[in-house]
Amino acid sequence: MLFALGLKSQNKQILYDFNEIPQSLSLNPGVESDFKWFAGIPLLSGVYGNFGTNGISVHDLFADDGLDINVKFRERALNELSPRDEFSSTIQLEYLTGGFRGRNSNMFYSFGGYFEFDNITYWPQDYAFLIFDGNADQLGRRYDLGDFKTRGSLVNVLHFGINKKVDRNLTIGARGKIYSGIVDYSSTRNSGFLRNVEGQNNRIASTLNADVLLQTSGLQDLDDANDNDMLTNEIISRAFFGGDLGVGADVGFTYHLSERTTITGSLLDVGFIYHTSDPKSYSLDGNTTVEGIEIDILENFASLDRDFWQDLVDEVETAVPFDSDTKSYITFRPTKLYASIRNDFGEPVGKSSGIQNCDCTAGSSGGGELRTKYRNSFGGQVYVINRPRGPQMALTGFYTRRFGNGLAFKGTYTVDKFSYTNVGLGMNLQAGPVNFYIMADNLLSYNNIADSHYASFQFGLNIISWGRRK
Amino acid sequence: MKGLRIICMFLLGFLMVISCSENQDFDQIDDLAIVPSYETSIFYVKAQETLINRVAGLNFFTQDFNFDAFEEPFFTERVISGVLTYELENTTSKPIEIVLEFLDTNENVIDTEVFSMDPAPTSVLSRDVAYGPTGKSLDIIRTTSKIRLTAVNLGDNSSESNIPDSAIELRSSAQFTLELQ
Repeated sequence: MLFALGLKSQNKQILYDFNEIPQSLSLNPGVESDFKWFAGIPLLSGVYGNFGTNGISVHDLFADDGLDINVKFRERALNELSPRDEFSSTIQLEYLTGGFRGRNSNMFYSFGGYFEFDNITYWPQDYAFLIFDGNADQLGRRYDLGDFKTRGSLVNVLHFGINKKVDRNLTIGARGKIYSGIVDYSSTRNSGFLRNVEGQNNRIASTLNADVLLQTSGLQDLDDANDNDMLTNEIISRAFFGGDLGVGADVGFTYHLSERTTITGSLLDVGFIYHTSDPKSYSLDGNTTVEGIEIDILENFASLDRDFWQDLVDEVETAVPFDSDTKSYITFRPTKLYASIRNDFGEPVGKSSGIQNCDCTAGSSGGGELRTKYRNSFGGQVYVINRPRGPQMALTGFYTRRFGNGLAFKGTYTVDKFSYTNVGLGMNLQAGPVNFYIMADNLLSYNNIADSHYASFQFGLNIISWGRRK
Repeated sequence: MKGLRIICMFLLGFLMVISCSENQDFDQIDDLAIVPSYETSIFYVKAQETLINRVAGLNFFTQDFNFDAFEEPFFTERVISGVLTYELENTTSKPIEIVLEFLDTNENVIDTEVFSMDPAPTSVLSRDVAYGPTGKSLDIIRTTSKIRLTAVNLGDNSSESNIPDSAIELRSSAQFTLELQ
């Protein structure tokens, strides 16, 4: 049985290639595994997630330091953050997972399902200036409507994967996914501006050039269900094929360049969701420049009784209409790429000959030729995720230390846009069939977690069988 | 036992490091003030001298204009101060008087601005009228439903300025501060 709770960042650099842990399959379907089987029942008592923000922390604003929050907000947010600064969070709850080795011992099959909430919102800089300062005394300043970018979704993911040991050096894997979308919102391709300049006739000419689109799906259904006290039923219905459907795939490999040097790679969530069940989109699209009510008495002499104010309102609404529609739309999943190179060194785990004295050896593939596991490993990893403002990358250096067959630690140092001091640590404990792991990163910030720009935490409890000893 | 000791130390250390956080006061969010100021043009009126010469009598133009901009609930409930800025330019050969009257929904006059301009050549007349704590009552802004514009020719009906396209032009803009939180 598996109890796995994850408070996971999108980058799970500690878990990646930590192949003593079954969940490492979720990050690389081509990881080397030697399990006979594992299975799990979810622990459903809570939801766990992570939060990352590269520009500002909770402590920056809400520290009980006696400073005026208006000063703190202006100095640390409004005047500091840019549209590239992000607020992101991910919550995953694995409710079912398992795996088993096929009759062909080189084949390992895994399956499962999990809920995933993922959100990313960039700091809408010019919207913030408009809200907090307004546009007064800012002639010529162009407020960029493209600053608003956000994307988020709550999906249920069902997956089935195959892992195959091709030969002693190469293991490959692939996993198919079915996404059942519960809620989605996306506004990532906005452009346009709002600007005041000196007018030709009047004092100020205000220009609104907008191409803004917000697409949503599921919100109306959930709102209606909530009104009818049917929210839980609606979420369950949408989670299991009653909502938006999509497909995706993960692929990965592990390859031994030499006895002690290994490279790995994986590409995750190459897929899309087609939002058809409850789509609703809102758009503001057009261009207009107005200088207030303009009355040229000579030109308008015959129609001076008309409602100039309403005419102005109508003119703006015609030129820049605010529309909504229910057209279906497609969103692509946030695709992730992992790659690593690892060098093993030190004494082999177990007997000095390298022949394993237990039934839990990495690379044994449940019947294939045993591969020696060493006490120490070090290497580097790269992680890239596709985001609305382009790919984001993280670089990780790691060191793994194994104490016998039952205990292993993995330490990581990661550099990304959130932190240059991200030190992580993970532990895997194997006590008979019981497997327990725990890991967290950005540990240096945990002495004041409120001041952290990024935090993630993850642990799991597994029962693993390797079958008969080799 | 050595392994167990390592595990215990690891877990203890882990719990120690994750348990720390300096005091946070999330109630500060209630003190966050959002008081932006927005600026835009209000109205522009132009009366050519050729038109003025064609109208007999002093009042060559009187018209009520519907003006609902200030009546929007979002605006009236949040405005805390404002400034209306006027610019009057007279390139005609006549002295002109412009009277702006702000009317409520019952067409009662609740405020009046009078502008007197000498004949051209004369400089542009600029005037800022404040509303709120340092100026006139904000209720004038909140209750304005119409603006009545009256233009009075204090000169003759025959002369013409030698300035091309001579006219009397009234420009205006508004700058308002709202209290959103």
